[in-house]
Amino acid sequence: MRHDTLHDDTHHDDTHHDDTSHDDALVLYDEPFTSRFLLGTALYSSPAVMQASVEAAGCDMITLGLRRQNPAGGDGDAFWQILRESGCRLLPNTAGCRSAREAITLAEMSRELFDTPWIKLEVIGDDYNLQPDPFGLLEAARELIAQGFKVLPYCTDDLVLCQRLHEAGCQALMPWGAPIGTGRGLMNRYALRTLRERIAAPLIIDAGLGAPSQAAEAMEMGFDGVLLNTAVAKARRPARMAAAFARAIEAGRAAYLAGPMEQRQTASPSTPTLGQPFWHAHS
Amino acid sequence: MNALPQRRIAIAGAGLLGRLVAWQLLRDGHAVTLYDAGDLDAPAAAAWTAAGMVAPLAETVVSEPCIFGMGRVALQRWPAWLAELEASELWHPHGSLIVAHPQDENELTQFRRDLADAVGDEASAQALDSAAIRSLEPDLADFRRGLFLADEAHLDNRELLVRLLAAIRRLGGECHAHTPVEPHPGEIATPAGRRTFDLVLDCRGHGAKPRHPTLRGVRGETLHVQTHEVHLSRPVRLMHPRYQLYVVPKPEGRFVIGATSIESEDRSPMSLQSSLELGSALYTLSPAFAEARILEQGVNLRPAFRDNLPHVICGDGLISANGLFRHGYLLAPAVADHLLAAVRGHGEQPFADVLAGTAPRMALS
Repeated sequence: MRHDTLHDDTHHDDTHHDDTSHDDALVLYDEPFTSRFLLGTALYSSPAVMQASVEAAGCDMITLGLRRQNPAGGDGDAFWQILRESGCRLLPNTAGCRSAREAITLAEMSRELFDTPWIKLEVIGDDYNLQPDPFGLLEAARELIAQGFKVLPYCTDDLVLCQRLHEAGCQALMPWGAPIGTGRGLMNRYALRTLRERIAAPLIIDAGLGAPSQAAEAMEMGFDGVLLNTAVAKARRPARMAAAFARAIEAGRAAYLAGPMEQRQTASPSTPTLGQPFWHAHS
Repeated sequence: MNALPQRRIAIAGAGLLGRLVAWQLLRDGHAVTLYDAGDLDAPAAAAWTAAGMVAPLAETVVSEPCIFGMGRVALQRWPAWLAELEASELWHPHGSLIVAHPQDENELTQFRRDLADAVGDEASAQALDSAAIRSLEPDLADFRRGLFLADEAHLDNRELLVRLLAAIRRLGGECHAHTPVEPHPGEIATPAGRRTFDLVLDCRGHGAKPRHPTLRGVRGETLHVQTHEVHLSRPVRLMHPRYQLYVVPKPEGRFVIGATSIESEDRSPMSLQSSLELGSALYTLSPAFAEARILEQGVNLRPAFRDNLPHVICGDGLISANGLFRHGYLLAPAVADHLLAAVRGHGEQPFADVLAGTAPRMALS
């Protein structure tokens, strides 16, 4: 289930997945991924803890930030080598960029460094809560799509923004559940449900999740995947939390495919209640 | 002193650990030769850039429980060793203070929870209100909530490195600055040729990378400022959702503010972003820092293995102890004890499994 090279998706090892995963791949830009769990690689107490968490998560794709590592000098290579050893597809991100221009430049650099057209696009609009700047994001997305990038934009749950990003050529979108690192879960279910109903592209909940139940809920709502970092990295036992999220994401996806029943206003016993024989209604 | 025969011992790396072990082995009566790739008086060592905190509780929260046990060794050893160096005034056992902005007070809650989980002794962190914070550190800005870790300490690390070197020279240690070496079993390769020894110790920092493929450098940046308008008695940490910064008081109105942690082996000067982050943290702690003078912007690489814990490898004629990461002053005493026991052939090695990398790791469980 790991990708050793960019197009190595022909031989999946699904031995520890349930049988839905055989024909239920996450497809992003026409490429199938076995896991619907994407994990960030920042904030762990050590690379060893990060490696164990990636392993426990069973993810196919991991994100990495380059902004502060002096990427032009290749000075992050010791750390990047550890990420490469995971066998996961590396998804460079533009975390820390505050303008479209910065994000585009960093994306171009990451394409050179990692030989990949994939980019998790972040343009930060607010320094404190790291809220995306929708205007800069759209501008950068248009430019990068034109350059042939496979752009996965980190965006808010605003319908019109998501529509514009989709129209700009983003074949998958990554709306937030809540601001980065807050662990607050799905803050605006109405907006997220609207996105799910209106946007016919893979939607990955990125950021704001703190507990596996929140990830399961997103998957039950029909979201296609979950990307997180802090919830695992800042858990006391990160690898264990990564495994918990992996199960929740699988369970939520399986529930979505199974078709959850609708909630009802009143209690509805599944067997007739003896005290209220149904023929009384007609007498 | 003991009755062991004198041995000729070479030490590669005159950072904190190298100096500490050299000093102890000279006192044991051995002939010690100390090599460093950089300067000895203005060392390139991470220990020179560091702030010199001995904070077993606060560091355990961001690392592994084994840090706590090793840190307790440091709290015992440092005052004793500093007394032997006639440098007791460099030791400041005044605890440390942790504060957060009102909007980030959850960070304090999480810290207490993590501390209790890791150490199991929550009582060692004392919750403070605004008045209690003010009575401990009157010059600090108003913070509503804080934590006091009474058992922590800090030391004047640069002066300590200077005193250790002076003691090494006084005891007849042979010191070679600007001499990059390759340690081998029973042999040191220098640019001038090879020299044989009875024993070689590799105590280098990031310089040991050629011998240890998994050793990497983690960039850290510190700001050194000076002002006489603010007085602090102990290190103060500012909790923030994305970074933890601290200020440590030094002699003569100097303060060290650190430290960024960037997964990069970039030694170029401090970035503006880091400078802003460190500067604003300082300003937040006390606006009186606004007129402090910036003396230095320190940049260095913390040497780290993948578990960010030190590793000691004992071989015939060569012992290496590397990867103290961000915990030099906290872990060097326990690592030095371990090394000295290995050299002497006797003595306790309570952290043998940790330093061999075979101890279970809580964060991996």
